[in-house]
Amino acid sequence: MDLVTTPLRMPADWRDFFALTKPRVMTLVIFTGLCGLLAAPGEIHPVLGFAAILCIAVGAGGAAALNQWWEADLDAGMKRTAKRPVPAGRMERESARDFGFALSGGSVVVMGLAIGWLAAAILAVSIFYYAWVYTVWLKPRTPQNIVIGGGAGAFPPLIGWVAVTGHITWMPVVLFLIIFFWTPPHFWALALFVQTDYAKVGIPMLPVVAGERVTRRQILLYTLLLVPLSLVPWALGGTGLVFGVAAALLGLGFLALALRVGLRQSVPNDTMKPEKRLFAYSVLYLFALFAALVLDRFAGLHGWA
Amino acid sequence: MGKDPEQFDLKAFRNRQKARNRALGVLLGALVVLFFAITIVKLGVQAEHRQSAQRPAGASHA
Repeated sequence: MDLVTTPLRMPADWRDFFALTKPRVMTLVIFTGLCGLLAAPGEIHPVLGFAAILCIAVGAGGAAALNQWWEADLDAGMKRTAKRPVPAGRMERESARDFGFALSGGSVVVMGLAIGWLAAAILAVSIFYYAWVYTVWLKPRTPQNIVIGGGAGAFPPLIGWVAVTGHITWMPVVLFLIIFFWTPPHFWALALFVQTDYAKVGIPMLPVVAGERVTRRQILLYTLLLVPLSLVPWALGGTGLVFGVAAALLGLGFLALALRVGLRQSVPNDTMKPEKRLFAYSVLYLFALFAALVLDRFAGLHGWA
Repeated sequence: MGKDPEQFDLKAFRNRQKARNRALGVLLGALVVLFFAITIVKLGVQAEHRQSAQRPAGASHA
């Protein structure tokens, strides 16, 4: 038994490395980053724009890989995440770590060289924010983890914007805040219908530690902050009427669904339909809101509005 | 001797390696193309700046 025979281990499939970057989350990152880039005043060469978006996406992928390196034990204990490459044993933990660091470092350096060091610095902060501040520090400690963690997902449009303009103004900061306040209702809706899983691995998700009633009230509270906030770009003249109308209509839909979730209480064997609906709508909401932002800018450029 | 020593399949191992190498090759190739494109674009942008800096004040054209 003590003979040192290092078995030749099957190297991890490249597809598992790809899975490590959480491609599905990345679509939202790419989309919001691209919208920030397209909505920003000014021009960027398409090649450089592509490079900027690629760096944002690869940076997010690197942060996701680091997250899964750190949380492999937790992931193994949850049904939703147990099949990820590291907890499922298809990849060594160190591979995920090295891959994550390589993607993170590479994306920041390329962003700096190709686009500018302000965009690169914000990208670095966003990776650090997700991989350390959120994953390592806050997630296991506070039930408000999602609120602060939402900051990580809020960076892409800010980075996309700064890649074009080279400096920070109030508009990209408002875009940042919109995603920031969007995250809690989005994620807690999910946490309401998968709460048993989080309880099992001891992550203090709000529904687990504070109960359902508080979670529902908080979902409603953050929605009430989000909807007026989404109108700020229009109210302050940063966008035209196209965005204003879209934000108002989309916000009303969000509010209606959040009200249903916020004012009810689940019963035994509840199908949690309103929660699932709110979760699905929240994804659609963000896509549509940012699409409206881009549409608004092009409408303005071509004099349609 | 507890565990059954996993039947080692050399062919599958080589196939996996080959697939990884191919993926990495494509990736590196794509990076070469990307860096080349970025370089060309940035050179172009710089040349434009130099030109517009040399142009006498008041003489503006597209």
